Amino acid sequence: MYYVVTLATLVTMALALARAVMGPTVYDRVLAVNMFGTKTVLLVSVIAFLFGRPDFIDLALAYALINFIGVFAVLEFFRTRAVRREADEGAGRR
Amino acid sequence: MTVVFGIFLLTLLLITAVAIVRTKNLFVAVMLMGIASLLIAANFFLLDAADVALTEAAVGAGISTVLFLGTLALTTERERAPTSRKILSFAVVSAAALVVIYATFDKPRFGSPDAPTQTHVAPWYLDKTREFIDIPNVVTAVLGSFRGYDTLGEVFVVFAAGIGVLFLLAGAPGGGKRPAPPGSDVGLSRHLIPRVVGRLLIPFILLFGLYVQFHGEYGPGGGFQAGAIVAAAIVLYALLEGEEKALQVIPRRVLLGLSAGGAILYGGVGVAGMLLGGNFLDYSVLADDPVKGQQTGILLIEAGVGLTVTGVLLSIFHAFAARGRQA
Repeated sequence: MYYVVTLATLVTMALALARAVMGPTVYDRVLAVNMFGTKTVLLVSVIAFLFGRPDFIDLALAYALINFIGVFAVLEFFRTRAVRREADEGAGRR
Repeated sequence: MTVVFGIFLLTLLLITAVAIVRTKNLFVAVMLMGIASLLIAANFFLLDAADVALTEAAVGAGISTVLFLGTLALTTERERAPTSRKILSFAVVSAAALVVIYATFDKPRFGSPDAPTQTHVAPWYLDKTREFIDIPNVVTAVLGSFRGYDTLGEVFVVFAAGIGVLFLLAGAPGGGKRPAPPGSDVGLSRHLIPRVVGRLLIPFILLFGLYVQFHGEYGPGGGFQAGAIVAAAIVLYALLEGEEKALQVIPRRVLLGLSAGGAILYGGVGVAGMLLGGNFLDYSVLADDPVKGQQTGILLIEAGVGLTVTGVLLSIFHAFAARGRQA
């Protein structure tokens, strides 16, 4: 049972990786990375039960709590870049 | 079956690595680095190395992407075309790779019980942890007590790396800073979903960081992981409310104090052991009962590690952000 779930998760990870590598747009890749993080949480949880070490689920908890920070950083990166470009263009016209 | 899973994950890692090298767009490379980190963590976990996997998770998921993007904000997004001679570097790399592959033929088989790692000191650690320190997580016992010197060295390396980055990036603080355009340093708090998610989760992330810090003797965790998780929580706050606001909460001087204070706390525990009649970093003398002393010592040095890691990671983050504002 756990083996089947693990295999399915691994296949999904491979598909997400394919999207991240092929793109084509940046947003495909951001989404793929986010999804890959979610799948890692699932994989770690399943393997923790597969090995009979459910206390190791702390690791999945760590990912679940802080994995999205990277995506927020991407949002902030694009936002500040857009603001800066606007400011630079404004300064150039003056 | 574990081997099959491991080979699958390593294959994905290989594909990711090749893609990172081949892409010319540095933003794509940063995204793929995130995936590589997740894959490595999953692999560590598969090999039952939960402490290492937790470290990779804490650093890779929260901090490293943020720092890479901070770097990217200071440079351009496209990689410059290589100017060096490709054939020479390719030859050097393949020669080195062949030597390394040749060396692996001498290594014991994966998981072999006769491997030096299983026969040399590991049995002694596994035996004596119960007797000397009496904590369930042998990794913490090895890291904190049996190999306390190495960990002290690691903390000093982290501290030195932080100082190095600050030297490179800090420049003149406050000098040459142009007034930020309106609306640029508000952060993501104007957007509903980040604001709600962030406000809900930051306390829990901090709580989880404390849990990882103080639960390290019983489960995977310890100072390194907890430091990275706490730093991730503060970085999340900085992303939401703007970096300046985060600096008001924890000023630069406090961060420097944390970085140095943690290392001093670690060294101080060692010196305290000497003053009480033991060797440097011998915790047995810290309490009447040697086992209690060991546990106290590990708790104290883990706290020192956590403080230093938090301070250094946040100092580096703020150094990048401040540099971005000046540019």
